[in-house]
Amino acid sequence: MKRDHRWALHIPLGIFLILTMIPFVFAVNNIFRTNSELDHAFFAFPHCLKGLAQIGVDSVTGTERQYLFYDENGRKALGGRDEALPQYWVQLKRGPGLAWSVIRKYMLNSFIVSGLTALGTVLIGSVTAYILSRYRFAGYKYVFMAIISTMMFPGVLTLVPSFLLVKELGLLNTYWAMVFPYIAGGQVFAIFVFKSFFEGLSEDLFGCARIDGAGHFMLYTHIVLPLSKPVFSVVLIMNVLGTWNNFLWPFIVNTEGKHHVIASGLYVLATSPHAANYATLYAAYAISSIPLLLLFVYATKPFISGMTSGAFKA
Amino acid sequence: MGCPVAKRGGGADHANPVNHRLWSTATCYGIILPSLVLLFTFVYLPVLWAFSKSLYEFEVGGEARFVGLANYAEFLTGDPATWTSLLNMLFITVFAVCVRLSVPLVVAKLIYMLPSERARYIYRILFLVPIVVPGVAVLLIWNGMIYGDSGLLNETLKAVTDWANGVFGLALPDVRIGWLSDPNTALLALVMIGFPFVGGFEVLIYYAGLSSIPDSVNEAATLEGCVGVRKFFLIDIPLVLSQLKLILILTIIGGVQGFENIFVLTQGGPGFKTMVPGLWMYFNAFSFQRFGYACAIGVCLFVLILSLTIINIKYFKSTEEAQSTP
Repeated sequence: MKRDHRWALHIPLGIFLILTMIPFVFAVNNIFRTNSELDHAFFAFPHCLKGLAQIGVDSVTGTERQYLFYDENGRKALGGRDEALPQYWVQLKRGPGLAWSVIRKYMLNSFIVSGLTALGTVLIGSVTAYILSRYRFAGYKYVFMAIISTMMFPGVLTLVPSFLLVKELGLLNTYWAMVFPYIAGGQVFAIFVFKSFFEGLSEDLFGCARIDGAGHFMLYTHIVLPLSKPVFSVVLIMNVLGTWNNFLWPFIVNTEGKHHVIASGLYVLATSPHAANYATLYAAYAISSIPLLLLFVYATKPFISGMTSGAFKA
Repeated sequence: MGCPVAKRGGGADHANPVNHRLWSTATCYGIILPSLVLLFTFVYLPVLWAFSKSLYEFEVGGEARFVGLANYAEFLTGDPATWTSLLNMLFITVFAVCVRLSVPLVVAKLIYMLPSERARYIYRILFLVPIVVPGVAVLLIWNGMIYGDSGLLNETLKAVTDWANGVFGLALPDVRIGWLSDPNTALLALVMIGFPFVGGFEVLIYYAGLSSIPDSVNEAATLEGCVGVRKFFLIDIPLVLSQLKLILILTIIGGVQGFENIFVLTQGGPGFKTMVPGLWMYFNAFSFQRFGYACAIGVCLFVLILSLTIINIKYFKSTEEAQSTP
């Protein structure tokens, strides 16, 4: 009889997991620490959190004591609970507050750009895929070839000429400088995914509907849409994942800096005077992770399939 | 003239079949028109421009001047940055290929060997979570917090040397350095970002490959006494070749054209120690206004990526065929 030693697998996996998470754990820890805390002791808990915890414990046990805190001018001070508590709160909220005031507009831009792109890609991609999967019109082969051939061109080839094009079209410093190229590139893979799904739908359904006099619009809204909800969410998430983290293109086409999205905005923030306060930076990184985190938590399955199917893009 | 897969029924208003067919083809094109317009404007036009503009020299604030293949000649023979940046690119790509083909595969295998389905799922999810952090944020975290002057790495080294000096009475020097700004360490520090390189995405891909290995193969291996490390190399790796190939192609493409991380962290410096061709293209376009030269670099990288991809596909196809016909 052999004993099952497979529990030991948790040891290497745990080590890998801890090493992977270390940067993020420290980053979150640093949201609540002042620059001087960071400079004096890298490995430490936030002073204000420790203070709040101490106050909590003391109020339960009924202990009275003096607390060490930083006052409005950043000087060390000793005081009772009523003096220390508000200062700890201020310290706790300072990083996230400053960060939010800076990146709020970047977040909004990200939502607008990613939202418009995802909706546009899903709409255009699914409509085109519907035609390509159901009709063999004259020139079908060439259209299909033209669409899949684009996968051959890497971003590095088109980066500079795309900029020249967007400039020529007068789209610099607009949302469209991002949305149009994103849809144009993103639709290719969306068409792929949609097409293979639509081809699996029964032709009888379409035939019956056509006999009843349904046109393209009716077929699309009454047969394709209701039957393809899961694939729509996959493509939607895949598309958001593809655009949300794009840094370079938004950075290039926003020469005036008014339409930065979250990725390029973080870079702008990190190279601005705000970066002098580390807590602001780390809070900004954390806040910028929340949207995808929520998407991940609430739609784990489509998120994963969106990610893995998106891999075959290149 | 093609015909619809399924002819539209009814069609009393299209009594003439030729008219009907024309009409339905025109409708098809009408519906896919937005797709095609976007495709040709924002994908094919830039591709064409990449080739055509690479033949011009753009004067700052002036007219573009036709120079033939001079930009290509300059990049391939005359530019001292070319070979430095290509060598850096080669190092970065080879390093990335090595770690992305090994670490996530090992982790996927470890997860796959776990007895409980629930634990396997939880590990896959946990390794995936860091993906929600924007890539730029990850880079900036590494830049400031890990590699910073009083960052994790330096502080850990200091703590270790202090401890050793105290306990053993040694006199180890202070080894704190600016990892990304020191010419000797910049490139290594750059590729070490992401340590321990357990990409959640790669783990997912490899895990899918491992779980698609048929039970019969696993059972036969166990019966033959092929277990553990031997099984990993003799059974698992050959059977996840297509997943390895996918990651290989993606990593090579990413390595040849990627420069965002270097742009964010070192801007190619110190000196040209971390310069790569993509970044050199970026600087030529957006710092030196040499758009024609930048397009030529882009075309060269495109040719490189295309040939590597073709070699990749051909080479791996033959090994897979060899596997299937023993």
